Amino acid sequence: MNDEMPQVFVDEKKLRKQSRRDFLLFGAGTFAALAGIWWISPLSSKKRIFGEHATDFLDTAAARFGLTKERSERFQNRALTFDDDVAEALYSPTRSVRTYKPGDLTPLRNNYNGRTPSPDYIANWTLTLTGLASGTDVVLRLPDLGQQPQHAQITRLCCVEGWSAIAGWSGIRFADLLRAYPPASGARWAAIESAVNLDGRGNPDPYYVSIDLPTAQHPQTLLATHLNGRALGPDHGAPLRLVVPMKLGLKNIKAITKIAYVAQQPHDYWADRGYSKYDGL
Amino acid sequence: MSDVPEDVEEKVAELPGGQVADENAVAELPSGQVADEAPAAAPVAEPLNNELADDEPSNPATQQPSDPDNGNPATRQPGNPSQRLVVIKHHALVRLSHWLNVPILFALIVSGFSIYWASPVFLHKPDPVTHSRDYLADAGIAIARHVPNAEVNPSWFYNHFGLGVFNLAGALRWHWLFIYLFLLNGILYILGLLLGRRYRALLPRRSMLGESLAMVRYYAGVIPMKIARKPWPHPEITTKYNALQRGAYASMPIAGALALASGWAMHKPVQFWWLERMFGSYDGARIVHFIVMIYFILFLIPHLVLVAVDGWDTMRSMIVGWSSRVGGDE
Repeated sequence: MNDEMPQVFVDEKKLRKQSRRDFLLFGAGTFAALAGIWWISPLSSKKRIFGEHATDFLDTAAARFGLTKERSERFQNRALTFDDDVAEALYSPTRSVRTYKPGDLTPLRNNYNGRTPSPDYIANWTLTLTGLASGTDVVLRLPDLGQQPQHAQITRLCCVEGWSAIAGWSGIRFADLLRAYPPASGARWAAIESAVNLDGRGNPDPYYVSIDLPTAQHPQTLLATHLNGRALGPDHGAPLRLVVPMKLGLKNIKAITKIAYVAQQPHDYWADRGYSKYDGL
Repeated sequence: MSDVPEDVEEKVAELPGGQVADENAVAELPSGQVADEAPAAAPVAEPLNNELADDEPSNPATQQPSDPDNGNPATRQPGNPSQRLVVIKHHALVRLSHWLNVPILFALIVSGFSIYWASPVFLHKPDPVTHSRDYLADAGIAIARHVPNAEVNPSWFYNHFGLGVFNLAGALRWHWLFIYLFLLNGILYILGLLLGRRYRALLPRRSMLGESLAMVRYYAGVIPMKIARKPWPHPEITTKYNALQRGAYASMPIAGALALASGWAMHKPVQFWWLERMFGSYDGARIVHFIVMIYFILFLIPHLVLVAVDGWDTMRSMIVGWSSRVGGDE
């Protein structure tokens, strides 16, 4: 016996009463945890483990107490929104992304067959800017971008899937484009469109992302034309792609065709499919 | 069981003088000497939410601690039979956070598997039969072969121990939801340790190495000796936890902190660049994260086996906070 194991005389009735309360709380907590886990569990997992019949029965019972599928989706999406808000609060325009040496380069894969349509496409490529302060749209060609100062950096691209790759990028700073063609006042996002079509069979499935203007202004946010010293090929978003190493890889949109500056937060391809939206690293 | 005086003498010899009084004061020394330690006796009822402290707790040292039998007269206060002697074990916040960890860690692990599926870390050359490159998928195939009517394929593990294959978006939603809960729960646990003043039971001690070996020897022999029907006494433990428990329980908050640190190193490698650097690289953080998860699972197995073997009093004490084992052994 010692001070780690203090012994004390207690009133037996009180002890019983308090212990009963603790057991009731424990039981209620267990029930709530099971109901909560059930509520947010994917239907496929529930059916796989409990079978179709029991899953339907329990889902119906849960819905009767307000634990509906719609509310579950909304609740879980709040977790994503909360995490995105944390990421946004953590962002600092002066914090730079770690850069690497040429010897650190690793192979960069083309995920989801996100390809530029064809080499012919590159020759006739244009970039359209809308939502500008001037009020008129601007159409740019590659030589127009070449007039801006060129920057090179070796950074890590982190995919939401967990893999990452170190690659060298060069091109112009997004900040320089914003300075040359300033967006209308009140614009807070850039909605970026792409020539990439993700559907393997060629059905229309264009890729699009949004980026907040503070991140676009970051000196390490590039509109890249070169990967590891060579002009971008179709696999990596020729002729112009976004390189935004303080965001997940999915924000680094390839084969950009249009940048629209808007006031309302635009849609994102993967956010429309259940992923987070701000995606700050 | 109460310590025999020879045991106390041994302890005195082992420990630095200042600690001796702490180690043995309340139960072992005559009441006159315990007066010095009175502050230790007064606040002891606090961990049970002050409710048990409504009645002035009498000094347990005036009693001879005896067998943990309910009706044993030694656990009753003379002249006041409605009073009962109990051992205060876990602060309410420690108990709460302990049980909250069950659904939280469950959710983090199952969603973690589905996140891992999207990009496994531990890979080998593709298997010519199953086409699997992933050791975890192989483990699933090995298990599924023994499961009746199971479809043996590389997805089996993730479909049965995770949130399914092709469910990265859903798994990330779970992971982000529960990681913030895990963070809050960790704060509750630390608060409980501090408020209950029980953290001392987790701090490392010089005598731990020898005591650990004694416990390893005990665990190694307990089943053979049961078969041989020979007595195999549990090593005498005078602290809340034996040395192995102390090490295992003390490692849990460290493992939790490591899981959080490596997780945030992956999740925010730019803003928390110093965390990423701490683990060497981005992939270093991923590997540490998975090793910590394996450590949690490895902790769980003996944890569940031992609480089942040790009996109801130990299990109950994590719900109600007190134990009737006033003799002081585990």
